[in-house]
Amino acid sequence: MWIYEKKLQYPVKIKNPNPALANVIVSQLGGPDGELGAATRYLNQRFSMPKGKVMGILTDIGSEELAHMEMIGAILYQLTRNIDPEDIVGTPFAGYFVDHTTGVYPSSAAGVPFDNKYTGVKGDALADLNEDLAAEQKARVTYDNILRMVDDPDVRDPIKFLREREIVHYQRFGDALRLTMDELDCKNIYAFNPSFDK
Amino acid sequence: MTREQKKLLDELRAVDFTLVETVLYLDAYENCEEALAYYHKQHARREMLAKEYERLYGPLTAAGNVSRTSWDWTKEPFPWEYDAN
Repeated sequence: MWIYEKKLQYPVKIKNPNPALANVIVSQLGGPDGELGAATRYLNQRFSMPKGKVMGILTDIGSEELAHMEMIGAILYQLTRNIDPEDIVGTPFAGYFVDHTTGVYPSSAAGVPFDNKYTGVKGDALADLNEDLAAEQKARVTYDNILRMVDDPDVRDPIKFLREREIVHYQRFGDALRLTMDELDCKNIYAFNPSFDK
Repeated sequence: MTREQKKLLDELRAVDFTLVETVLYLDAYENCEEALAYYHKQHARREMLAKEYERLYGPLTAAGNVSRTSWDWTKEPFPWEYDAN
């Protein structure tokens, strides 16, 4: 179960709305390497992990991803507040606006709705943890790309925080993979599924 | 949000961040005595700050509604508002 805490993990306080930025940052909510995919990936992978330590790492990182979804939601919400629809005609945000107004809808920067294909659960501890290592790197690259396009320090600050979290999560998933490999049956030299072939 | 509330909220967020990091570290390195001692130190500080925050500014969780006469849990601003940060 979970308990909600009525605060953001890191503050989001954006003075100047800018719907064009929301249109690219939305990818880190509902895009292929976004926070929604990360949360569902880790929280669902937990069930087939062979060791308590790795169940714990996935639980704690998966829960933190829920807090990151909320931060991205807050960024999108603040970037699109008080906008005049006439000002967005012909801008990249117009398509989003006509379908979702200024609601927070998980989709990619290219407008593709969130797809559960991003969740990546194979039911094999080694396959899943390698997926997670790649996922953290891909999310970090996406944040790098967002930072290449954004000048506003109010937006850069929380995005930089989220980027740093990808790097730390990558470290912990490295630990999780090592812990899993260390405890494999010594006869399982090719590291076949330790979650199923016991 | 007043300057005082923001100061306390930022302090709480900072100590909570140290706990997020320490918990993740301990998940992987459970025998690190230094990390476990730090976890307990930060946890005690977190409890103190959260109690103070809830007494002054309202509940952090639905179970933290201190008042016996008013339901403060749904009072604005919610965390995603400009004025809540």
